[in-house]
Amino acid sequence: MDNGTSNSASENETITLKSCDGIEFHIDARIANRYTLLNNWNGGESACIPNVNGKVLEKVLEWCEHHINDPQLNCGDDDSRRRNTIIEEWDENFLSCDQDMLFEIILAANYLEIKPLLDLGCKTVANMMKSKSPEEIRSAFNIDNDYTPEEEEQFRKENEWAEDY
Amino acid sequence: MASKIFMGNMPELMEKILENLNNEVSSLHSCALVSRHWCKMSIPLLWQDPFSFNRKSSLITNYFSSLCEDEKFFLKKRVINVEFSKTLFDYARFLKVIDLDDLESIVLRWISDIANEFHGILSALKSQKQSLREVKIEYCEYSTEFNVLSKCENLETLRLKICDYSVLNTIDYKISTLEIIDTPIEAKPIESFLKKSGTLLQRLKIEFDYAWEESETLLLNAIKSFCPNLKYLSIIFILFSAELLELIGSLQKLQFLTLMLRDDKMSEEESEIRYKEFVEILPITLQYLDLTNTRQNSYLDVWLNNCSAPLKRLLIDGLDNEKQTQALIEFCKRKRTLNCVGVSKYSELNDIIKKEVEMYVTLVLSEYIVIDC
Repeated sequence: MDNGTSNSASENETITLKSCDGIEFHIDARIANRYTLLNNWNGGESACIPNVNGKVLEKVLEWCEHHINDPQLNCGDDDSRRRNTIIEEWDENFLSCDQDMLFEIILAANYLEIKPLLDLGCKTVANMMKSKSPEEIRSAFNIDNDYTPEEEEQFRKENEWAEDY
Repeated sequence: MASKIFMGNMPELMEKILENLNNEVSSLHSCALVSRHWCKMSIPLLWQDPFSFNRKSSLITNYFSSLCEDEKFFLKKRVINVEFSKTLFDYARFLKVIDLDDLESIVLRWISDIANEFHGILSALKSQKQSLREVKIEYCEYSTEFNVLSKCENLETLRLKICDYSVLNTIDYKISTLEIIDTPIEAKPIESFLKKSGTLLQRLKIEFDYAWEESETLLLNAIKSFCPNLKYLSIIFILFSAELLELIGSLQKLQFLTLMLRDDKMSEEESEIRYKEFVEILPITLQYLDLTNTRQNSYLDVWLNNCSAPLKRLLIDGLDNEKQTQALIEFCKRKRTLNCVGVSKYSELNDIIKKEVEMYVTLVLSEYIVIDC
């Protein structure tokens, strides 16, 4: 318990996970101990993790392995007002992938309940929106504008206080 | 094609992303203008604490316009008779934080003479009692108008600055965050409030730049007895006493600790022993330790050599000598959890020391590490 984590598996134990497209991964059992959902798919002959393909699972497991010794946070730490603004360099490089992969990692982290990775992914996407105009955000994430001109004008009027803050 | 996260299929994920823009008002404004769905997701965040960001009178007009009919009726009757137009959203129901000082100054701009009317506005909050999560009260004298707070049972956070403690008596329910700043410490009302919130209280900040005097022991014992689940504790200008030691040792869920100790006239030898004892009992859940602006920096090597808490962030005043530098490096090697050290006198750091330490951990100006209560 020296590092504040609650991993009870030893360093040499491994478990087997299979992605939805049949790729097998042999991972340190301590990872599955931290993120209990991963344990659900441990080892079964035909058991595979639905919704997460090999390419994405490989990335997710790479992140988990790198952070295996991090202290575990409790549920009270997710208050958005207390969020830390720093993204560590390794994490920043890790998520400097193409946008499709970034969203796949977020979806997988959400599905597999790997909260720190989910938070990190969300923070990275939020950083991509910072200080951008609506048009720049639409173009960055391929979103269509479905406002009517009247709605947009009324919205701007009612929220003009926030425009150039 | 846009990710399904942004198309309305996974609103919980989109909300999680946007929450990271909490203090980025103009970014949230841009997001709200992207599309109708983005607007629906961004507006609650944009309007959760608008008065702390902006004091334009158009803000208060739209805020009042979005109140429900009963509230508007109350305002017209008690405060000012103005016709309000219909707004796109009921903005007022998104309000989670209200700083009465900010609200007062924005209303002061909006109407000319507010002296009595301000309290009328406070009563108008009655129908927002379900949505309010946080209240900041600064420089306010207590009046019976504050009784409206007794109905805000979903309130989670109360922040007081230079205030009358009587406001604490109006709250009979439990809250999770209490902050008391620049207000002379009165042990009794705080003690009974801590007793009320008890195990639910997770964050406590008590900062007052003068000695707590006889309140100190009473309060430390009250925190220890009633609030064992604290995750965040910030106390300044306190004696490095046996009671403080016992308190910190008893907080087995503590993750964030800010301490500023006042001069206790202990000998150097006594101090060293006390610091060693102290650092050894730090809970293994502790990941953030702020030791800036204190006299502890000269004992930094004692802290680090004996610390077994898995700190991720450490805030210090500086690295004054080789002994401290080596202690920090050894701590990084031993714990492998520390990834950032904030230094308040960052510009005074010796370049060679900086280079040596940065092989193990990132050094930044302490202001860059922000963990609010």
